[in-house]
Order: sequence, then structure tokens, then C-alpha cells
Amino acid sequence: MNSLTKASTLSSEDISVWFGQRQVLSDVNLTFPANKVTALIGPSGCGKSTFLRTLNRMHELIPSAGLSGSVFLDGEDIYGQDFDAVTVRIKIGMVFQKPNPFPTMSIKDNILSGLRLSGRKIGNAEELVETSLRRASIWNEVKDRLNDQAISLSGGQQQRLCIARSLAMDPEVLLMDEPCSALDPGSTRRIEETIKELSSSMTIVIVTHNMQQAQRVSDQTAFFLADDNTPGGVVEFGDTEQIFNGPIDQRTNDYVNGHFG
Amino acid sequence: MSFAPRPLVQPWKRANNARTFLILLASVMPAVITALAVLLTGFDANLAVIVVFLPLQIVAAGLVGLRAFGKRGFGDALLVVVTIFFSAFVLVLLLSVFLSVITEGSKAISLQFLTQNNIYISNTTSLDYGGVGNAILGTILIVGITTVLAVPLGIAMAVYLTQSQSKLRGMVRTVTQALSGLPSVVSGLFVLSIIVTFGFSKSGIFGSLALFPLMLPTVARVAEEALKLVPADLRLAALALGAPNYKAFFQVILPAAKSGLITALLLGLARVIGETAPLLLTVNVNNGTSWDPFNGPMETLPAYVYGYLSSSFSSAHQRAWGAGLVLLILVGVLFGLARFLGRAKSLKSKPTKQKASK
Repeated sequence: MNSLTKASTLSSEDISVWFGQRQVLSDVNLTFPANKVTALIGPSGCGKSTFLRTLNRMHELIPSAGLSGSVFLDGEDIYGQDFDAVTVRIKIGMVFQKPNPFPTMSIKDNILSGLRLSGRKIGNAEELVETSLRRASIWNEVKDRLNDQAISLSGGQQQRLCIARSLAMDPEVLLMDEPCSALDPGSTRRIEETIKELSSSMTIVIVTHNMQQAQRVSDQTAFFLADDNTPGGVVEFGDTEQIFNGPIDQRTNDYVNGHFG
Repeated sequence: MSFAPRPLVQPWKRANNARTFLILLASVMPAVITALAVLLTGFDANLAVIVVFLPLQIVAAGLVGLRAFGKRGFGDALLVVVTIFFSAFVLVLLLSVFLSVITEGSKAISLQFLTQNNIYISNTTSLDYGGVGNAILGTILIVGITTVLAVPLGIAMAVYLTQSQSKLRGMVRTVTQALSGLPSVVSGLFVLSIIVTFGFSKSGIFGSLALFPLMLPTVARVAEEALKLVPADLRLAALALGAPNYKAFFQVILPAAKSGLITALLLGLARVIGETAPLLLTVNVNNGTSWDPFNGPMETLPAYVYGYLSSSFSSAHQRAWGAGLVLLILVGVLFGLARFLGRAKSLKSKPTKQKASK
């Protein structure tokens, strides 16, 4: 669909995470192949969102955070000497749980904000705005009011605007942290359709609490779990089809069938 | 399905004649009784407002509330009476200050009063001569320099207090708060001791330096509150887009806090613009017009007011009132200007031209 975008393979190797003295994740090894959608599922507090943040170095913004292990973007360690956090975040975009458009900017400026903030040249602004908004399937709703303030949009529209804002950066990987948890079913459906279309041009990792959503949008699924007072980790990782219909681990089976969590 | 527009309906505002009458009675009776008491017994009117009117009004409103809504009506009525009474009380106080400054001050004000200086003017000179032009100039220059020094530094302190993780933040905040209790005369004394110790002569710049420690904590504290109100989400959103810290701050956080930061500037300005003691100590007074804050004494509006108030001639008092009014107007103009310049650029709502959608 979009030839200018280059998808990349992202993988984590023995990722462990601490907050202060408390270890919250232990030895996570996952691979997110190019152009695949991977869902991270699991009960609250098992470390999925924390893990997601290690993938684009947002984790290190928390003062007490600690980390061991490596994250490879097409074979290069994003925590290595050749990478800095800003470069990583330009290549690996993120959509947050709560829509967070910039309130002082118009819809158009929100789309262009990523390039401006990261100090890159904007070629054809009009075209970039339209392409990004189209890819996030919100173009038709906002095309007549691109200069309106972003906060005048509804919650669902704001979230799609935030997706469009990430897409304008032309990321190789897009991380989504429960992007639909604050949205109504209509907006959720549209975002899910967007995710499927985007996967042809980028790699997507999505944290979700919604089992149906994981089944609808993802190619592969990782199930995270943290037992009482132990760090969280991956219990099972495989094709979405297999995780939901023939899980190997009993705990996975219980979780996806709603027996706990 | 058809839709016929109907007029606005607000059932909760439906008139209840008996209740309206009771409320009317309760709002008029206490005032009437108080007025009668004052007229018949010669009781002091000001005192009567507090000791006769307020208790009567509370009882009357309470009874009506009790009659109409029972116990909760009693509480509501009490709250309404007390809030309205004390707001009115404060409002009257403020308005009477304003009114006397305006009525007394306007007698002195003329174009000549605003533009001329104070040379050859004595306490008994007619108001047709002389003015506060030199004092307006001095106040603007001295307070202007203070603002240029204190606002960037105050905002920088607020940024340090809100954006950094440093362990020194607590200490900085405590010191700032302590500084905001600094008596202005002490600040003036401090700068005066510098002038004396190093053999400088009094001039406008020392006035600015004396006002600086008064303005700084106000700006810093208000700006800190303004920056605290910016959601942490926005910073994360900017950083996740690959923004370096300084760009996230200047392009996202600062614009979001803009109106609060302007409030910080205005409160800082209000804190220092009427200060008298530190300026008398460090700038002295000057009947002539001085454009040079680095050299020699300058006149300022508060010092001008002080100078003429200590005289016993009525034309001198007129000058003081006039200067007071000019100071009030100056504050109003500066506030209006800051709000106007700081207004969020209104985002155009007109649709942008676009190519026909494919």
C-alpha cells in the first residue's frame, strides 16, 4: 500500500526490568517479525505496558527504572552505543492508552508536530497531513477543519489523530498501549481496521485487555503473567490462532477463556 | 418523524408564589428594621449593619429556608446569606478604595499632569502646573528592568522545580517561599548597604535590584503552579515522537502553560509596582525627568505619592491622589496589554483549501 515505509523486525533478548529494588519483569524473549501484528495480553500489573515501553526507550524516563537485556531493531541493539533514545523513538512510534493530542495546536499542526519536534524537514506539508490522516482513517471527518484545535475532537477521533501523528513520522514499528480502552465500539472498530491496513507497511505491537480484539487484529500473541510477588514474564508465545484455540500452558487456557484475570 | 421546535423549558425555575413572597419578605424586612432602628434610636449605621442587619438577615433567611425545605433549607439559606454578605462587604471595601482614588485623583489629572515633571513645583503650587510624567517614566523603567530580570529567572526556577528530578528541589522551594515573606524595606536596606559599602550613588538600577527579590518568588511560585498543571502525558507524547527535552519543553509544555505564566508575570508586577520604601532607600527622588536608570536618582509614582501626602496642603494631597490614580491606571494598562499579547493565537476555523478527494 505504501512503498515509502520500511517495516523492520524487532526482537527482545532476556529483557528484565526493575523499578528501584523491585524486579517487575524477568527474561522476556519475543520476536516481532516485519509486517506482523503482535498482541500482548495478560492481567493488569503483569508488566506488558512496561515491556512495551522498553521497546522504544520510553521506560528510561522513569527515574527509578532499571533494565537488563537487549532489544534489536533489524539486528542492531537500540540500547547500544550507536543508538540514542531520540533516534529510537523516531523509528519506533508509540500510541498511548489515553489520547494525548497537543492542546495548543491545530489538527494539522499536531500531525506535523512529530517532524518539527524531532527537527526534521517537512517536504509537502499538505500532502503529509492528508496521507497521515487517511492512513488513520480520520481524513473524511476532519478534512474541512484542519485548523481547528485538536481538543475539539471527540475521544475516538483524538486517538485516531494521535495514531495519524505517529504515522506522519513514518515509523518502522508502531507500539500501541491499549489504544482502544477509552473508546466506544465504533471508534474501536475503526482503529482495528486501521491497524490491519497499517500492518502491510510496518510492524505493530499492541497491548490489549480485550481478548476479541487480540483475536481480530493480531497474527501472533504473547501471554504475560506475574505470580504473586514474583516478576512478570511470558508464559506462552505463538500464533494467535494457536494461543486462543490450542494453548499448551494450562494458565494460558484459563486466561483466554476468562477463568481468571 | 417530524420535529417541531419548542421553547426552552426549565421546570426547576417554575414560580412558587407563596415561596417567592416569603423570600421577598426575608430579604426586605431585616433591612427595613435596621433602617428604622438607626433612624429612631440614632444607633451608628455602620455598626448596625454588622450587629443588627447580619443577625436579622441570617435568622430571617434561616426561617424561610426551614419553612420551605426543612432542615437542609436552613443550611442552604445560611450559606447563601453569609457568602453574599461577606462578598458584598469585601466588594464595598474595594470599590470605595477605587472610587475615592478615582474621584479625588481625577481632579488632578490632565494632559499636563501626565506629561510634565515636578521642577519648581511646591506644596502650594496650583494644579495647573507640574505633573507626574517623570514619575511614570521612572516607575516604568525601574519596574521594567526588574521584570526583565525576574520573570525569566522566576520561570527558570519554576522549570527546575517541576521538570528536574534533582534532590535540591525541596531546598530551593523552601528558600523561595521564605523569600516571599521578605519585607520590602529589608530588601531596600540590603541594596542600600551595597551602595554605601562600594561607594555607588543612588540610581534607578539599584531600585530594580531592590525590587528583584520581591518579584522573583512570586513569579517562581505562580509559574511553578502553572507548569504543574500541564499534564505529564503531553511531555511523554512529545518525547515519544523523538523530541529532545528542550523542544518538548519549548514547543509543547510552555505553550500549554502560557496563560498561567502570564498570570505569574502579572502577579509579580502587581507585587512590586506599588513598592515605596525600597525605592526611597535606593533610588531617592528627583523632581526632574531622568531617562537614565544607571545614573542619578529617579522619581517613581509611589515615592511621588509619599512625598506629597506628608505635606498638609490640600493641593499637595490632590497631587498625591492624582498620582495614585495614574498608578492604578498604569497597572490596568499593563495587565490589559499582557493579556492581549499573551492571548492564544485564535485558530482559524475556516476550512483549508484541499484538492478534491480521490
